[in-house]
Amino acid sequence: MKSKVLILLLTIPFFVYAQNKLSKQHQTQALNCKTCHSCDIPTKENPCIKPCPRERLITIEQTPEDAPAVLTIDKLKKQSDIYAPVVFTHRLHSEMAEIGGGCGMCHHYNPPGNVVACSECHDEERKRIDLSKPDLKGAYHQQCINCHRGWSRKVECESCHAQNDSVKKATKTTEKGTEKKRVHPKVKPPEIVKYDTPKTKGKVVTFNHVDHVNTFSVSCNKCHSNESCNKCHAKYKQVSISSRSANEKHTSCSNCHNVKVNCSYCHKNTVAAPFNHKTRTGFDLDKNHSKLACVRCHVEKGKFTGLKTDCSTCHGTWTKENFKHSVTGLLLDEVHADFECKDCHQENNYSNITCKNCHEDITYPKDKPGKMIKNRQTLAK
Amino acid sequence: MAKQSRRDFFKTTALIGSATVGLANSAKASQKNALSEDRAGVLVDTSVCIGCRKCEWACKTVNNLPTDPLEVYQDRGVFKKHRRPNDKALTVVNEYPNTTSEKFPINVKVQCMHCDKPTCLSACIVGAFSKNENGSVVWDTHKCIGCRYCMVACPFQIPAFEYEEALKPDIKKCDFCFERTAKGKIPGCVEICPVEAITYGRREDLLEAAKEKIKNYPNRYVNRIFGEHEVGGTSWLYLSNRQFEELAFPKLGKDPAPGVSEAIQHGIFAYFVPPVALYALLGGVMWLNKNKKHTDAENES
Amino acid sequence: MENHKPAPVYTKYFTPVVIVLSVLALNGILFLIARFVLGIGAVTNLNNQHPWGIWIAIDVAAGVALAAGGFTTAALGHIMHKDQYHSVIRPALLTAALGYTFVAASVMIDLGRPYFIWHPLLMWNGTSVLFEVGICVMIYLTVLYIEFLPIVTERFIGRVNLPGFLKKFNQSLDKLLRVLDKGLEKTMFIFIIAGVVLSCLHQSSLGTLMVIAGPKMHPLWQTPILPLLFLLSAISVGFPMVIMESLLTSRSFKLKPETPILANLGSMVAPLLGIYLAFKIGDMVIRQTFVYLTEITTESVMFTLEMLVGVIIPLRIFLSRGLSKNPLALFIASVMVVFGVLLNRINNFLVAYTPPYEVHSYFPSFGEISVTVGFIALEVLLFRFFVIHLPIVSVPDTSTSPKTKFSIRG
Repeated sequence: MKSKVLILLLTIPFFVYAQNKLSKQHQTQALNCKTCHSCDIPTKENPCIKPCPRERLITIEQTPEDAPAVLTIDKLKKQSDIYAPVVFTHRLHSEMAEIGGGCGMCHHYNPPGNVVACSECHDEERKRIDLSKPDLKGAYHQQCINCHRGWSRKVECESCHAQNDSVKKATKTTEKGTEKKRVHPKVKPPEIVKYDTPKTKGKVVTFNHVDHVNTFSVSCNKCHSNESCNKCHAKYKQVSISSRSANEKHTSCSNCHNVKVNCSYCHKNTVAAPFNHKTRTGFDLDKNHSKLACVRCHVEKGKFTGLKTDCSTCHGTWTKENFKHSVTGLLLDEVHADFECKDCHQENNYSNITCKNCHEDITYPKDKPGKMIKNRQTLAK
Repeated sequence: MAKQSRRDFFKTTALIGSATVGLANSAKASQKNALSEDRAGVLVDTSVCIGCRKCEWACKTVNNLPTDPLEVYQDRGVFKKHRRPNDKALTVVNEYPNTTSEKFPINVKVQCMHCDKPTCLSACIVGAFSKNENGSVVWDTHKCIGCRYCMVACPFQIPAFEYEEALKPDIKKCDFCFERTAKGKIPGCVEICPVEAITYGRREDLLEAAKEKIKNYPNRYVNRIFGEHEVGGTSWLYLSNRQFEELAFPKLGKDPAPGVSEAIQHGIFAYFVPPVALYALLGGVMWLNKNKKHTDAENES
Repeated sequence: MENHKPAPVYTKYFTPVVIVLSVLALNGILFLIARFVLGIGAVTNLNNQHPWGIWIAIDVAAGVALAAGGFTTAALGHIMHKDQYHSVIRPALLTAALGYTFVAASVMIDLGRPYFIWHPLLMWNGTSVLFEVGICVMIYLTVLYIEFLPIVTERFIGRVNLPGFLKKFNQSLDKLLRVLDKGLEKTMFIFIIAGVVLSCLHQSSLGTLMVIAGPKMHPLWQTPILPLLFLLSAISVGFPMVIMESLLTSRSFKLKPETPILANLGSMVAPLLGIYLAFKIGDMVIRQTFVYLTEITTESVMFTLEMLVGVIIPLRIFLSRGLSKNPLALFIASVMVVFGVLLNRINNFLVAYTPPYEVHSYFPSFGEISVTVGFIALEVLLFRFFVIHLPIVSVPDTSTSPKTKFSIRG
């Protein structure tokens, strides 16, 4: 018993110390513990830090223009003098990364705040104790080489840095990127993509890019992750779609759509029209709903059918107490403000207004029960 | 040949017997066979290797072997042929197609595995091989007689012989940069590797790191570390995203390669008892037969 | 039985066959010079995949096995005291001594650094099978020379006649020979037993040699009882070798073949071959390697050839009656056993050896074959030389033959 107490007493300072240390390090950061720690209560002895690289755990969200245009990477100069330092066209690369995973493609771990340099985590010394992550040289090259290899199918060191004793000069040592101008042109997304499938019935699959981006607010990297430059720059012929298996062809859609059932949902005989909520479902997303994200109403994940068109399905029951009529743009006058909703709106969708209950000769919208407000948004706030 | 010689017979037999036993006791392993807890190793991650062949160049450079200039090593045409380390190149990189992503072929560096229970060390007639505390298996030019039994024995087919050399041919193989590591440096190939596909460190730590990698990326790796158990463990360890046998790794068991041979050898020479026993037996038979002959002759006369 | 005594055979050295053999030997020596000037790679087809070729498989491994006649006849004649076989002991001893000398020579030419051949004497490696083989062969070679010495002393005691200025050493040399002779007479049994023990050791260890190659060796041959098989086959080939060479010698020197003695030797071959065959088949059944014989490959063909020609057919001949009256059948059967063991050693060391990363399979170069053939030719030539000049072969006792003082030893 005594010993248990003693152990407890001895461990308390450690907890306290650990907590203090943590608050010092993390105090400026609004972080979820679970982002980095796998257990509930990390201690100094057992910090249970999630293994590196914590891919996309935390990323930087900056625009390419915010970042430096050109960087000279010469941290490894003292280690080896076989190659000259790399002049890294940072802006060009971050612009190219926009289509893929964004900054996180390279900055795979970065808590909010300053951008963390590679060398803060990756040892400059190759002979080291912690072998769980590559050293700095390895980290640099591993980040660069995969895209470059995929692009050229070769491993050409000179495409990034000149060999020191060689006469050959690196081809891309400088870049006119210091002005605030894009180096890589902005990628212009297509409106629709039409796929001709080998199916006899429902030959055409139309992918409406605009709909997915704007209407469904699918973020770019949901589909475009680790995108290769080859996708647009056909340096090497892409594997033609027909050579891919049926399963592979469907992967980009199957994240959201259940491709196992109802083929005709996508496979049609002609090019499909853009998504229109009114024609598809009968519910018009008028000016009140057009800007909403789908999930605001379709709360059950992946289920988009069966929602009733009654306002109360989403909004609940409106009463004169909980509804501020001014958001509609009509500020009710004193008399009308005391009425129950049903007195004027007899249908559930609140779109039809009747004045007949009280007035025989008055009709809406010719006559109004109050004052129209021009800027309804500001008032609503 | 009377009583005199018979007594001689026993005396001399005993003498020879004790002499051989004495020799046996003095026969101590002259070569070093250390298996240190802290022995170093290298973890080769074939899924990281890009096949730049810088290691080939570095290996030749640090070992003072003639080499082409660095630029020549960018030629990927050499991958068309499966190559093996030899007396002129102690390490080579080979390429295999990647079944999941044809853009990124799999490259595998080949060199001496630096076994924990080296077969060459067991086989060598003069004990010219040593397993050192730092994990390296090193060949000693001052002992070697050039019999090439190590080449017969090695399960990885690594030791190479300078067949063109008439006067003093060497056995050539990777020595884990013994000279460099003794000075606190890391092996030449490890130092130059741009992507650190080859990680140098304590073998135990590397195993841990490798297991962690497999755990974190189960889709990226085959759940096996080649060299962890093969032929009793090797200092060089390999991770791969394809079955090792498909990447021309030899199919080997977990038992140390010299196992059976050493067991037989020690069985035949268990403290020299079997040979001495055979000697005594033959001596006895000879003596009995002679005695018989002798009495036969006496009876006849 | 005629009173046969070993004596020099007085005949002229050169015959057409001898001239042909001399040419072959000379050809071998030429390639040997090339090997020492240009290196092993220039003369042989050896490479990093195939480190050992016919110089090891034939000259060393088969050479050791085929010199087994020396210790088997010594065991029979001296240890078992079967006096009737004494006439074959000396030729067998000469074959063994010459055989092992050439084994040593072959090792020397195959070694990358032959001038370091003494290293194993000082630098020991207890786990190395090759070390054990090397040491045993070295000691056994010495033992063989010691066993051979009485033949020299017998020939030269009282007849030392050095030419020219060396004449003054005649007397002291004679004295030395006499001392040697006296000393050896008392201690020869030690060497004879030692010779048999050493032979058993290294004959078997020669088999252990390839066990370490593990999966590189074809399963038809790779077995933990390889040392036992090697020992058994060496013992089996001892007598056939003696028979073959005795019949060849008597034909070459126009002597009457000693068919009865040889037939008796032959009758002992059958049980030995039988035991060997039993172990070989037993091993095959236990390890279930017979499955490899169902498909036709180089390995399966060579294995079948080795077993049929080398063991099964000669076993049948040796078991047949009336062999003593049929020297031809005896000769053929013996040659087949000798060929079988030769093939077995080639199979074990070359055919079975399939390295994991093989580009080309090994076939000996012209140079390698030349050297091997040259060595064999040289061996035959030296054998003839010694038979002519030393009391080796037993001939009918005439007044011209010297008195043999030391026919029985031990």
